Amino acid sequence: MQLREFFNREAISLNLKGETQDDILKELIGLLNLDEKSEGILFKMLKRRENLGSTGIGRGIAIPHCRSLVVNRLRVAFGRKPEGVDFKAIDGQPVYNFFLIVAPPLEVSNQYLPVLGKVAQFAKEPGIAERLRELKTPDEFLQLLEEKGI
Amino acid sequence: MHPELEILLQLQDLKAQRRELEEDHAERQVEVQEFNIDVARAIEELDRKIQEMEEQLSPAIRSRYRRISEGRGRAVVPVINGICYGCFESIPTAVAGDIRQNATLRHCEHCGRFLYILPG
Repeated sequence: MQLREFFNREAISLNLKGETQDDILKELIGLLNLDEKSEGILFKMLKRRENLGSTGIGRGIAIPHCRSLVVNRLRVAFGRKPEGVDFKAIDGQPVYNFFLIVAPPLEVSNQYLPVLGKVAQFAKEPGIAERLRELKTPDEFLQLLEEKGI
Repeated sequence: MHPELEILLQLQDLKAQRRELEEDHAERQVEVQEFNIDVARAIEELDRKIQEMEEQLSPAIRSRYRRISEGRGRAVVPVINGICYGCFESIPTAVAGDIRQNATLRHCEHCGRFLYILPG
């Protein structure tokens, strides 16, 4: 199982517009193409998860994640905010890159934790922040995932 | 969507999060190691939110919700491909495939759990 298998270009945005944590979460959720009610419920769950402790793990990367009944399979999205946003990250620095991970509470394939772990591992790769900053297209993001082979 | 179904969905998600932090060693480990979460404080906060949301339900629905939760664990389950994901019995076709059905609070005729019709 490799991270590349879970991402598709429709769920990638390299130019998030939001200026706040809430805006960014809403934009990331929008990439999953859910109905409006499901988006609202998911936003509340992600906010509550952030309130338990920021998912900003440092080095300019955050991994908002939760389990929710509003999805029927593991869903992921990637967003980049070139100017950065205060996401209350562990290191106190702005966050530029966001990986959204959502899974249903009962997940037969049990991929949620491995994917969460792999994204965290990807985020720790040397030079990854620079590589993410240089991306010009969603395809380049997918190529980077493939190249890292995580 | 029925307003109480929306509350029930959130309650179920909060309880799933709580259960995993408390019981799922692997999940707890990831949350602690990667995200530096304070598990005890997080569970306390989730309990407070769960109680607050339960109080938003009408007495009849709250009572039913608590009864099912105590007896069967998960009180709200998705319907996927016409199957109740609580008891894995079939749901009548007229209900199962239509997310507009979420405008009404429905329960499974077999296991009694509240149903959430997941969009295709």
